[in-house]
Amino acid sequence: MSENVREIQATQYETEVLAAPEPVVLDFFSTECPPCEALAPKFEAVADQFKGRVRFFKIFRQGNRDLAAKLAVTSSPTLLFYKGGKEVGSRLTGDIKRSEIKQTVEAMLA
Amino acid sequence: MAERFDLVVVGAGPAGLTAAIYGSRSRLRTIVLDEGMPGGQVKTTHKVSNYPGFPEDVKGAELAGLFSKQAERFGARIARAVEITKMDLASREKSFVLDEDEEITGRAVIVATGAKPRALGLPGEDTFRGRGISYCATCDGAYFEGKDIHVIGGGNSAVEESLFLTQFSRSLTIIHQFDEFQAEPGTAKEALENPKIKVMWSHEPRAFLGETVLQQLRVENLKTKQTSELDTDGVFVFVGMVPRTELLKGVVPLDRWGCVETDDSMQTSVPGLFAAGDIRAKKFRQITTAVADGTIAALAAQKYLRETR
Repeated sequence: MSENVREIQATQYETEVLAAPEPVVLDFFSTECPPCEALAPKFEAVADQFKGRVRFFKIFRQGNRDLAAKLAVTSSPTLLFYKGGKEVGSRLTGDIKRSEIKQTVEAMLA
Repeated sequence: MAERFDLVVVGAGPAGLTAAIYGSRSRLRTIVLDEGMPGGQVKTTHKVSNYPGFPEDVKGAELAGLFSKQAERFGARIARAVEITKMDLASREKSFVLDEDEEITGRAVIVATGAKPRALGLPGEDTFRGRGISYCATCDGAYFEGKDIHVIGGGNSAVEESLFLTQFSRSLTIIHQFDEFQAEPGTAKEALENPKIKVMWSHEPRAFLGETVLQQLRVENLKTKQTSELDTDGVFVFVGMVPRTELLKGVVPLDRWGCVETDDSMQTSVPGLFAAGDIRAKKFRQITTAVADGTIAALAAQKYLRETR
């Protein structure tokens, strides 16, 4: 995994995601999920591109069910975008293109 | 400097990977491009029962893995999770830019981008996609452990995936527009005998409702024309597929369903450009018909390359 993508647990959600000084992209993933596998290299490539400006985290849904339920995430992969402790923009789910992630992140930085 | 290939295959499903097996075995420098991981629709099919050579069921993901392993064994390069950001299919030497970065060229191109799940196009569908609406049972089934869910559709995919989903859900109700399943009789019987599965025949979905997450599904009884709202924890949609022919728009003519017309050698109207698998205008779409298309396309591409050298 790229050094610019870190896996977190629900207990770190407040400190790492909501309290982050930079914008955040959070990826809910599952096992036995081909679109999640397909997303991983694209997610890392975009993370490398925005290194130092945006934080990229992934969180394993099966290990963090309550948080997924609280955030109304019912599909893997789902990408959520945060700025200043609030979710912003539209979520991306399913077959996600690299250019879609890039565009959403750029919109968040603009 | 662009890397040159003889054969560029777009799409790593059964058609594309079979084309790559034949292409690389006949010593064509072959690359397969895919936006995701290899396997196409097969990789999210929980089991495959009608692919010859597997007398016991084979998991879709496993079969997909075997296809790509075989293609790579003969030297085909499979480029995973790449996006085509620019391309030229009309020239004799066709070219692609991948992720705005890498450039490749090839004299023959086989487009085998397959099909993706059809959305219903109903109110609330975009809002609740990923918030209760799903199109992939293997990806999202586990989110619905102990939940009451609905499945839209009555064909093979809908009924087979319903059977898979019952291992998670508490109850499952299939909403189907007709009075009987279009699925194979054996699968249909299994579903009808499953105590967790209920069916609402002659019903169609009309809207998805909820606040932040999907809570209700509005359906219409096609016989009485009455609508009602059903409480639901999640809805899986399996109502057929649409061809992924975005790449070919404006390059070759598409029929009214968006499929590509080819001759029986899989040749399109553009020299050196072939189409194979579910994107092609044809009557039946199975893994077996996709691999047949891929075979023919690769052999025809080989002949084209020889004759236009």
